[in-house]
Amino acid sequence: MFHPLRTDYAGRSGPMFRLALKTSLLTVLTLGFYRFWMKTRMRRYYWSAIRPGGHPLEFVGRPTEMLTGFLTAVVFLAFYIGIVNLLLMFVSFSLFEGQGQAYVVSLIGIMPLIFFAQYRARRYILARTRWRGIRFGLEPGVKGFVWRSALWWGLTGLTAGILYPAQVWALEKYRTDRTWYGDAKFEQGGTWRSLFGAMKHVYLGLGLVVFGSLAEAIFEDPIWLVAAAMGAAWTGLGWAYWKANRFKRLTEQKTVAGAGFRCHPRPGKLVGIYLLGSLIIGAILTALLVLSGIVIGVLAAMVDPAVVEAGVDDIADLAQLPAWLAVIVGVVGYFAVFLFWGVLREAFITLPVARHFAETTEIVNGEGLAAVRQRARDEFVEAEGFADALPLGDGI
Amino acid sequence: MSAASQGPLEAWADYFDGETARVQRVLLTLAPDRLTIARPDGSRLDWMAEDLRALADQAEPGGLVLALAGDPVQRLVIADSHIAGLLRKNAPQLTRRPPVENKGRILGWGLGAVASVALIIFVLVPIMANQLAAYLPPGGEKALGDATFEQIRAAMGEDLMPVEACEAEPGRAALDTMLARLDVADDLPYPLTLTVLDHELVNAFALPGGRIVIFRGLIDEAKNPDEVAAVLAHEIGHVVNRDPTRDALRLAGSVGVLGLIFGDFAGGTVVLFLANQVINAKYSQAAETGADDYAHAVLTGADLPPAALGSFFERLRDEHGDAEGINAHFSTHPQMTARIEAALAAQARLGHETTPVLGDGDWAALRAICGTPAEPGAEAGDVDEPAEHPTSVRPADEAAPIDGGGRHAGD
Ligand SMILES: [Zn+2]
Repeated sequence: MFHPLRTDYAGRSGPMFRLALKTSLLTVLTLGFYRFWMKTRMRRYYWSAIRPGGHPLEFVGRPTEMLTGFLTAVVFLAFYIGIVNLLLMFVSFSLFEGQGQAYVVSLIGIMPLIFFAQYRARRYILARTRWRGIRFGLEPGVKGFVWRSALWWGLTGLTAGILYPAQVWALEKYRTDRTWYGDAKFEQGGTWRSLFGAMKHVYLGLGLVVFGSLAEAIFEDPIWLVAAAMGAAWTGLGWAYWKANRFKRLTEQKTVAGAGFRCHPRPGKLVGIYLLGSLIIGAILTALLVLSGIVIGVLAAMVDPAVVEAGVDDIADLAQLPAWLAVIVGVVGYFAVFLFWGVLREAFITLPVARHFAETTEIVNGEGLAAVRQRARDEFVEAEGFADALPLGDGI
Repeated sequence: MSAASQGPLEAWADYFDGETARVQRVLLTLAPDRLTIARPDGSRLDWMAEDLRALADQAEPGGLVLALAGDPVQRLVIADSHIAGLLRKNAPQLTRRPPVENKGRILGWGLGAVASVALIIFVLVPIMANQLAAYLPPGGEKALGDATFEQIRAAMGEDLMPVEACEAEPGRAALDTMLARLDVADDLPYPLTLTVLDHELVNAFALPGGRIVIFRGLIDEAKNPDEVAAVLAHEIGHVVNRDPTRDALRLAGSVGVLGLIFGDFAGGTVVLFLANQVINAKYSQAAETGADDYAHAVLTGADLPPAALGSFFERLRDEHGDAEGINAHFSTHPQMTARIEAALAAQARLGHETTPVLGDGDWAALRAICGTPAEPGAEAGDVDEPAEHPTSVRPADEAAPIDGGGRHAGD
């Protein structure tokens, strides 16, 4: 019997914090253009931290190809977004005399582009990921993905979200069945019903919210709101259950070169990571704010001791600070909070979550993997430019 | 690689040939000029010291992942921190990055991106906005203006309370008298909605759908009712020309494009705001001149002094100096002198004395429209700030001279 290949995780919060801080600072200082380098460097770290069977993944993407891809996307998207937004605004106000519809229509108009970007981004990332020296890859097939996504999102919307698990499974199957590791093809098993069980706590929680609200409306007794509140909390925890269980179900039904996977992520651990991470981030941000307040106070005292002597017991005193100083403090504070929040999130939430998923996943029956042969490089000029340009909201 | 005293020069590592996913356990031997890799099948590879490259940003702190210069796929994963340390010290080009490829293509796409964005923001979107503004039905324009108006009231309010609209009955009546005297009903695509907001800003602006907003600060600052009428005529000029609607449509088109370029990093909002100001400045000068011309004509037709517009601008400039800092580059301020001269020229054409647009009683009522009467004709600097605004900023600190960007307040 071939031993399961456990996954080690080599990432640590300290080095991630330093890397994220350094690259975020450079991104802000370059008005955002370093972000391609930032993304590449962070991925190299995250990928190399994951070590299935003790062998690290490698991300071989280049920042310059991401920059080129982004510029390519801008050439096309600027036209689409500029003209389409304007037209939608016009149509929305002409026909509906309101702005809300414009946003909705605008969102619907951009959805196909987002699906397009999602598939192309997945293709780029897989084409630039290697394990044991062998490239991953995703076959061309973006058209099928776009119309399937549009259809599934439509169905999900029509069923008030109830079919969401089926959508997740179907779209994941479309992509997985076109994914390759070297010359070995992935396959996604299961059926469209596979993920409903993972959503059960969310359904229960939301059901409780609806029930509690309805009961309160009918009986006009606020006690029912307690039920609704409990439902909301249940939904929150249920979402962690969904994330962990979705990953487990999808991954365990994937096969490649005769190998399979076994996962046992724990929803409770995920909740713990989010709670502890939020606490740490909150504490550090508070400490930073207090510290910077002290530094500003000391600096002010050095410039003009009278300021501190008088004390800042009157808000009006603050208004007497020179305007440029207030502007500088404001701008620096704004950037600092955003920057540190993002950096701390990488170090204390994203990384621990990645660690948990990695360490609870193992490869079984991996004896066939050694025979997998290399696949040709996928040049893919546009990289993930469309995903970079559109607000997809996925960190990695 | 030097010095045998540095300890054993042999170590085990994992080698991947880039052809199959087979893990090859290999014995490394370090020599001064090369790294020898003994593979399980007995064959040997020599990687020269100057060709060794380490992958950057790796998570494993002590180890190394080596690649060979010019070879994209072979990898050597070294966990042994002693050997890794020796390699770090002795391989001369370990951290060298491969040269940037396709510089020409990056430059080409870069220029293409800049050109396409410029074309869209400065040519296509404005042309379409200009054309479409005329076709937007009045109801749609009104909805657009109402949405913006509520946003502005909320944004300028304090403690989550939107700015109050001033509704004192005698003041409203005075405004109606003023509008009747201007006699612009025939020019308008839709009826005007005139609002006075209780805020010390010396400003006024027009919104889509015929909504005109005047701030209390402007009425306080005016020396006589003719000056308020002149500003009102100017804003009506914007309504007649449908400038606010054009602005709103242009904004809808260009903001999305700019957001696209600067991404969602923290500074994006700031860059977006500045870039939008630059774009607006380009278009607003023509719009201002158009509104001024209209105002001169209306004032002349109503037998009111066009010079009032110029005298108001002039006093603002003299009292508050030139706009400072960033604002000067983005406002329409540099044109101020030309605007004052145009007003004087229109006055010269009128060529006779006029009766004020409001009598003393109506003028006093207008100044009290927010319930805080000020001495008629008092110097603005001497006006006591109303009690409910103890921390208010002097107008000079935040006012752009007459709607420099005011039409764009829906940003
Ligand atoms: Zn104007």
